[in-house]
Amino acid sequence: MSVQSEISAPSARRLDSKALAKLSIRLGAFVAFGGILLYFALTARGFTSPYNLMTVVEQSAILGFLAFGMTIVFAGTGTDVQRGGIDLSMAANAGLCAAVYAIMMREGYGNALAIPVTLCTGMAIGLLNGIAVVTLQIIPLLGTLAVMNIAAGLELTLTENTVVPVKTPLTKVIAFGSFMGISTLAWCLIVVSALLVWLMHFHRIGLRLYAVGGHLEAARAAGINTGRYIYGAYIAAGLLAGITSILIISRLSSSTPGTGLMLLPILAAALLGTVFSRRFIPTIGGTLLATLFIGFLANGFQLLGISSYWVAGVQGALILLVVAVTSFAKRN
Amino acid sequence: MTAAIEMRGITKTFGPVKALTDATLMVKSGTIHGLVGANGAGKSTIIKVLAGIYARDSGTVMVQGKELGAITPAGIEAEGVHFIHQDRLLVPTSTVAEAIFLRNEPRFGPFINHREMYRRSAELLHQYFGLELDPRALISDLSTAQQKIVQITRALANDAKILVLDEPTAALVKKEVDNLFAVLRRLKADGLAIVFISHYMAEIEEICDVVTVLRNGTDVGVVTPSDVGIGQIVEMMTNRDTSEMYPRRKAAIGGPILSAKNLTVKNTFQNVSFDLHQGEILGVTGLLGSGDKELLQTLFGEIDSDGGEIILNNAPVRFRTPVQAVSNGIAKIPEDRRAHGVATGLSVGENISLASLDQVSAKGFVQLGSEARNVDALISELGIMTPDRQTLVKNLSGGNQQKVVVAKWLSCNSQVYLLDEPTVAVDVGAKVEIYNLMNRLATEGKALIFLSSDLEEITEMCDRILVIYRGELIGEYKHGEIDSDQLLAVASGATIEERKSL
Repeated sequence: MSVQSEISAPSARRLDSKALAKLSIRLGAFVAFGGILLYFALTARGFTSPYNLMTVVEQSAILGFLAFGMTIVFAGTGTDVQRGGIDLSMAANAGLCAAVYAIMMREGYGNALAIPVTLCTGMAIGLLNGIAVVTLQIIPLLGTLAVMNIAAGLELTLTENTVVPVKTPLTKVIAFGSFMGISTLAWCLIVVSALLVWLMHFHRIGLRLYAVGGHLEAARAAGINTGRYIYGAYIAAGLLAGITSILIISRLSSSTPGTGLMLLPILAAALLGTVFSRRFIPTIGGTLLATLFIGFLANGFQLLGISSYWVAGVQGALILLVVAVTSFAKRN
Repeated sequence: MTAAIEMRGITKTFGPVKALTDATLMVKSGTIHGLVGANGAGKSTIIKVLAGIYARDSGTVMVQGKELGAITPAGIEAEGVHFIHQDRLLVPTSTVAEAIFLRNEPRFGPFINHREMYRRSAELLHQYFGLELDPRALISDLSTAQQKIVQITRALANDAKILVLDEPTAALVKKEVDNLFAVLRRLKADGLAIVFISHYMAEIEEICDVVTVLRNGTDVGVVTPSDVGIGQIVEMMTNRDTSEMYPRRKAAIGGPILSAKNLTVKNTFQNVSFDLHQGEILGVTGLLGSGDKELLQTLFGEIDSDGGEIILNNAPVRFRTPVQAVSNGIAKIPEDRRAHGVATGLSVGENISLASLDQVSAKGFVQLGSEARNVDALISELGIMTPDRQTLVKNLSGGNQQKVVVAKWLSCNSQVYLLDEPTVAVDVGAKVEIYNLMNRLATEGKALIFLSSDLEEITEMCDRILVIYRGELIGEYKHGEIDSDQLLAVASGATIEERKSL
């Protein structure tokens, strides 16, 4: 015999305080975002000019695409980012893809061949991550770190650590074109964001991917082929790295060493994005907001004449803060 | 007529532990088939083999006359077999509706039809359980019982033909259990085959048409509970006479060792005062959320009190952390052994020694010889079913893991033991062993606080019983003054008049 009780409202008090804590963290994130924008608007000359705002959005396309890739990996391998998976090869992969595209253009292959090969390179690196994490069961932090080095090494081998200039009609359209007053890069960000919001939040693929990341055993018990979804997440991230590489080349008119340094901002954006979600999980919308936030932060620093070296430090601090805050919120 | 499920000669080993040996399970459609056995008898294992979570070493599995090779979770669901696992297998970050419709999402073109998903979730929860639960609520915000209900609703939403429920009622209250049983009977009438696994023998007798009894990884009999009765089933499970269920000792109760005076934790419990004596087993019970668990946590330094005082050996104490409580000779056996009790990746021996390393250490080194002697003695005393002390705890069954937790605290020689639901989800045989241990501790002059929601064990095992209701201590009874029915009435807040009429 067991004691009876009401199940409809157990520990309602604790639930309320928990919900309150979560709500205050989310509100705090929005207020901090708004506050910093306001501060820059008031103090940094030219911050609010349409040209400047558009520049930030354009710059955000590149960071955003890569952060989306990281978000997808987070969603599929552990919405609890500390214990779950990660893709450290994201930035190095984009660098490798850029090198592949630039070298193929230099050697005279057309876009019709160069673009598919570039995208396949990205997906191949993603596949490699999948093999390391799913098939070989290496912890993602180490597995993708190794793959990152492979990608970085291949990039150096291809470019011999030099700048490989690229100029094609396509890259010109991406860099300078516009449609309805909005530049191509901004369009890219809008279209890809919308597509990914649909896939991740309104399509069953996304729901199942989040289930795999949220509780692997539960997803498996529900009959989801979890390994396939994790492979898919890494390959999708690789594809995004491939697409991004073409945007990078378009902006810089060349393949340039150093793309791998984007890893920190990518991580910062994907992690910061979790604060904007009700469930404290990585979402496309949250990552987009976080990307813009980081973009505006860097831009504001520039306009205020603060050394850009500070930006990396701020991004690192953001990662620490976000991870601390979200894990605190989850513990309660 | 072909059987809905026909499992023959199933064998499964985990490392050195043999979980199943040539086990057979036959279930017909239109019946509710009980599966019982002591902890470690292989109930969960045989179910996980059917679910495709574990691959069987040998044996055949047929579902509705169709022989299955390697089983995958998706494949078995496609055969119409649905599982409600003992572990709450739900995604904590998903909503109620998402959990119910995962892999069966209502669609609107290329979109998930969220509105339809929410509507149907609310409808199903209401229809089957009469429960008004927000389909948008997050799983991590739900209570244990609510999560269990979501799991069952998920299977029902998927039109299961064969339903396997592993300890479905463990976290449910009476009303929900009754609702569940009504649902199961309706599903049975619809021709479903239902496999029902439970430790609660009364439930087995109430709901099951046929029962398969497992012991030590093998089926030892198929019986009709209404013919043979609970007693015989329990004997088949344990090879033990049921009259030994609640061993009583002759209590030699000494002076007070731990006292609470007007102990208060805001919004949780108020003005709780009691004395705990040497050699005493003091029962504490209350409804879910009554504050009884928090009382134990306060005594152990997990929660800081807002008022009143705790007196240990005639001196007021205030523990701010469990470490302080442990160093003052207070031990706690936590309820959730996986979360708090055992390091599953360590060996049996290492776990048992964890809390008592001071005693087996000398000059900074663990004295492996004395550790091993200590550990081996406890393993044999508690009857922990393990090949040796080097076996990893994760390879043991749930009941044996619980015994390891108990052994860990026994070995540390405390003066006060706080036991939080030590027998929950533990089979009859292991329960008796835990009761014997409690008795032994009390006889040695230790003081025990025994928190349980199993009112029968509380009334049988305790020298005194405290009842907490909505944060207040509303009743204190000596052994034999109250039976479990009356205790239930008190704990659920019945008025004095209602109590008298019992």
